[in-house]
Amino acid sequence: MTLTTSTDIQKKQYKIADIILQINYPIVLDLEKLLPTFRDFEWREHSSNPVIQVNLTTDKAPVEPDMGMLRSDLSISWGDRFCFYEKEEGYITTIVNEQGNELWYLYSERNFAQSTVYIPESNDYEQSTVICWMLMMIFGQAALLHEIIMIHGSVINLKGQGIAFLGKSGTGKSTHSRLWLNHIAETSLLNDDNPAIRVTARGVLIYGTPWSGKTPCYKNEAILLKAFVRLQQAPENKFEALQGVKGFIAVLPSCSAIRWNKDLFAEMNTTLEKVIAKVPVGFLKCLPDQEAAQLCHDRIVDIAVK
Amino acid sequence: MKLRADLVLRTIGSDHMIVDPSQDMVDLSTVYTLNDSAAWLWEQLKGIEFSPTTVANLLCEQYDVTAEKAAADAEILIQDFKKQGLLEK
Repeated sequence: MTLTTSTDIQKKQYKIADIILQINYPIVLDLEKLLPTFRDFEWREHSSNPVIQVNLTTDKAPVEPDMGMLRSDLSISWGDRFCFYEKEEGYITTIVNEQGNELWYLYSERNFAQSTVYIPESNDYEQSTVICWMLMMIFGQAALLHEIIMIHGSVINLKGQGIAFLGKSGTGKSTHSRLWLNHIAETSLLNDDNPAIRVTARGVLIYGTPWSGKTPCYKNEAILLKAFVRLQQAPENKFEALQGVKGFIAVLPSCSAIRWNKDLFAEMNTTLEKVIAKVPVGFLKCLPDQEAAQLCHDRIVDIAVK
Repeated sequence: MKLRADLVLRTIGSDHMIVDPSQDMVDLSTVYTLNDSAAWLWEQLKGIEFSPTTVANLLCEQYDVTAEKAAADAEILIQDFKKQGLLEK
């Protein structure tokens, strides 16, 4: 008699940026406890053909004599515990577990529509963090074929419209959002790290997601995107509107796409091309002060009117 | 020679550009900007096998230039494409 049978597999669906993600998992895992930030995104109407499927399993990871081509061995989140390999038919992501004796092993098809996560020996907290991160990675790639781009940035909701602050890690995106919340009327935080954007007939929408960096802000909401602002620390506050290719180049580094999959990368650029045609881009050199938020606000209202 | 098939010419407002994703571990992706005539030529040459003469002839048909000037410009453009790695190897 085997210990696991097909009836031991449960499934749960989530709707993120209008995309259905289905997770298939063994009954021994408490998914709601593992993914608390997904609570507001649960999709109970059940779709028969989810766009993304992820299998979670406690089975042993496959032993691959040939992992494929090592594309990256460093990650901001995992440091040197991380490896990313490309094979002809898909991608393998590995992360050394906390105990350091086994690997987290993620296999994804080339378009990331189907993935399997092999869970090694790990505690609840580790499972929660790694699985949440892997789902973000998968979503960010799989969404590209559906005219959705996951971006790295902090988003303020100003009277029902979104303003996305972009910049390198450590630039002060979250800090700048805080300044808006504290000093500008009718503002709230939509997401602090990983919102998604999508081109629709209504215009370009920006969505809250279950991923928001260090700030617990997991809103299942979509609002019209009013502007992007790329931030850079400086000794003074200065705002510049960026036109055409300059705007595109300012937003491109904040978009999530693996460069090694040229099809997905090209899809991302095609979507971004449409986004940039509709959404103004600004560049703000700034101090972490009230004046920076006020200047940014005034100039955005200005360029949005033009 | 041929233009690289994986590169897409994109237009934003009045600007033309090509994004070439770096395939190395370090991200050295490049964005090339093209002026109107280079972008027009890119569209004409897309998917076909061409020579410097093809480019010179296209320039002559489209613009009011002498054959010598067109040949010289074609040579410069092809050298540029070659140097930036925009042609199929």
